[in-house]
Amino acid sequence: MSAFLAGRLLTLIPVLWGVSIVVFLLIHLLPGNAIQMFLGTQVAMTPAQMDELRRLFGLDKPLALQYVDWITHLLRGDFGVSLRTSRPVLPDILRRLPLSGEITLLALVIALVIAVPIGISAALRRGSAVDAAIQLGGLAGLSIPNFWLATMMLLALGNVGSIASIGIYVGFFADPVRNLAVMLLPSFSLGIALAAVMMRFIRSSLLEVLGHDYVRTARAKGLREQLVLYRHVLRNALIPVITVVGFQAGYLLGGTVVIEEVFALPGMGRLALAAIDQRDYPVVQGVVLVIALLFVLVNLAVDLTYALVDPRVRYG
Amino acid sequence: MNAKRLGWLLLALVVALSVPVLGAGAAPAKVTLTFGVDQEVVGLDPNKVTAFSSFRRIDLLYNKLVTYDAGLHVVGDLAESWDNPDARTYVFHLRHGVQFHDGAEMTSADVVYTLNRILDPKTASPGRSYIDVIDGVTAPDKYTVRIHLQYPLASLLSGLASGNAAIVERSAVERAGDLQKTEAGTGPFMLAEWVPDNFMRLARNPRYFKRGMPRVDEVVFRVIPEQASLLAGLRSRSLDMATISDGSVVKQAQAAGTLNVQQAPSLNLRIFSFNTTRKPFTDPRVRDAIAFAIDRQAIINAAEFGLGVVSGPIPAPDKVWALPVSSFPEYHANPARARQLLQEAGAAGASFNITVSPTYEGGLAVAQVIQSQLKAVGLNANIQNVEWGQYINLWVKRDFDSMVELRGGDPDPDRFLYRTFYSTGAVNNFLFKDAAVDKLLDRGRVHVTVAERLPIYHDVERALVTGAPAVFLYTPMESQVMQTYVKGFRIIPTGALNYLEQTSVAR
Repeated sequence: MSAFLAGRLLTLIPVLWGVSIVVFLLIHLLPGNAIQMFLGTQVAMTPAQMDELRRLFGLDKPLALQYVDWITHLLRGDFGVSLRTSRPVLPDILRRLPLSGEITLLALVIALVIAVPIGISAALRRGSAVDAAIQLGGLAGLSIPNFWLATMMLLALGNVGSIASIGIYVGFFADPVRNLAVMLLPSFSLGIALAAVMMRFIRSSLLEVLGHDYVRTARAKGLREQLVLYRHVLRNALIPVITVVGFQAGYLLGGTVVIEEVFALPGMGRLALAAIDQRDYPVVQGVVLVIALLFVLVNLAVDLTYALVDPRVRYG
Repeated sequence: MNAKRLGWLLLALVVALSVPVLGAGAAPAKVTLTFGVDQEVVGLDPNKVTAFSSFRRIDLLYNKLVTYDAGLHVVGDLAESWDNPDARTYVFHLRHGVQFHDGAEMTSADVVYTLNRILDPKTASPGRSYIDVIDGVTAPDKYTVRIHLQYPLASLLSGLASGNAAIVERSAVERAGDLQKTEAGTGPFMLAEWVPDNFMRLARNPRYFKRGMPRVDEVVFRVIPEQASLLAGLRSRSLDMATISDGSVVKQAQAAGTLNVQQAPSLNLRIFSFNTTRKPFTDPRVRDAIAFAIDRQAIINAAEFGLGVVSGPIPAPDKVWALPVSSFPEYHANPARARQLLQEAGAAGASFNITVSPTYEGGLAVAQVIQSQLKAVGLNANIQNVEWGQYINLWVKRDFDSMVELRGGDPDPDRFLYRTFYSTGAVNNFLFKDAAVDKLLDRGRVHVTVAERLPIYHDVERALVTGAPAVFLYTPMESQVMQTYVKGFRIIPTGALNYLEQTSVAR
């Protein structure tokens, strides 16, 4: 197990290195640069003044050299300084990480709370009117874009006057009630599509297991239906669900970008969006790298959980 | 069964958190004005920043030597008065007893320091070009500042009234390195708390030199990028006031009936500009033809929900200088005349691109209306819709046929027109060269009195409308939406929020 873990952690290095190169090249390939964005179309500057700014931002060096500069600083834990705000990048990311993490986690919980019971009841009532209705609801959940849902919820709640609509963000540990009031709607609008995916997945996974011989055997030996369901069916049906949940957690983290913008939450996604807009290279690079790191770590965690839940899976 | 119960539980939770929380916390003793804006500040150093969003906070933290009032007249701010012993010398007499936020007295030494800081190339101040005509600043005594110019420049006062020329405290800059994350001003409010992308809290300056102001204890700026979310914030009363720029959302706010919507035309200018070095725009007749083909009011109605005022080259609210648009023949849409001019120029049926961006002031909707109006005179305009970063990039490289733009105007015509339309002007991306216009612009800046300058700028305006490096369209309205209990606020065409010092909240 520990050998497996060590091996997996080692593979992170080339993965993250690859990500660092790709993100560096992509953001620098975008037309326009930080100085142009900084000045916009209104400010009159002489070419000499522009050159001064370029030197100031380190953008006068060749691209390869800029990359080496960045990566060597990165190895020392220095993510650089934002070109737009001149604040150091890493503390800014770390300050915003808990918010994005909380939305992701809440969205996941909300999705599971909705999807598991509904998915199970759909499978157990296969072919019934209830099943059809649930399937239809699932399709709707899948098709509604989360930013639209978010905007609609905001507008609706804005009319009745609610603290849940647009509040100043406070950390969970500072004030759990106000925190949840602000975070619930965003998490809900992010989680609903995932709930639909999960529900359909759970339903089909369950139906597959229900058709297996061991289920028939369990029933044949007179086991109570509840026991058949909990001990034999669910246990086996939910293992693949864990994998999907793991994958989706990574996508949810990406999904917070849009949701944070709509709900004006100061998370990592909003930081990234503004940075891309302004060609604030160090910030974009830093955020993408951190998200990539989280993504691979979550996947690793999923693989490990797998072994815990299913005794047949062994590593190392 | 289980699923049902959980579903209801979840629904109950959402509903419970959505009802208004009455009496959450006892009534605060402090009077707070919560102000929703759609853009975060980029930095706070007044001498260094370029972002409009930054200036709206800087306006409240700092003062300048002189400033603009709501009627766009230059009035004293930190300077009580000034004289012009000769055309190249300005002597400013400072107010006595003005204190910086840390309690230190503001004196002529700080003014000299600030102006030299702006002029220093190392500061890379965008405001340098406004005042680089200065060749010496001295402080004959504690309350007098003497500025000497290389040559007479009529727009000097306007340059000194710009946010970039805000007076900073020498010792504070030396302590902090720069003022991007902190502040050292004399303004009505002081920076109390700033959580980037979340909110900024400004507290009342108890030492402010204007008696009885500000009228609220604090202003909290909330950064909410989505226009619909801003309106939702106002409706739910989480916000007392918000700047809303999307016309459709402003209309919704008006329809709500419970909110007060204040509107005034800004000094910004929407233009449809040409690359005058590219065919068919090399021929002035083609540009003039397009000016005749376009119905400006139709564009305002369709693209801005009616929230704009038709304008000439000098933004319409600048009443001191702007000619009424009825004096330009091109402002009465005349497709027949347009077609005739196109025939004469041999450009009938020409095709070209209009470069626009869907975000910020990129003007996609404007381009769509222009496209259909030009089709009516036989021109085939193809809309090139690009991301904002690429839009700026094309603008900088002058790599476009035509473009929809929003230009920031200035109360002084020299400040706006010279950099924009002079053949070597820094933001003349039309690559427009007209010796007659250059000559007029040169003459306009060396005279100091309005009476001498007015006929010159009227000639410039007429020449620009006919020569048409751009078709001048309209100035958009600025809209501030507020609760009915917010009193005393007024919009200044420059977009400055100076009137927040006089704004009171009586909930």
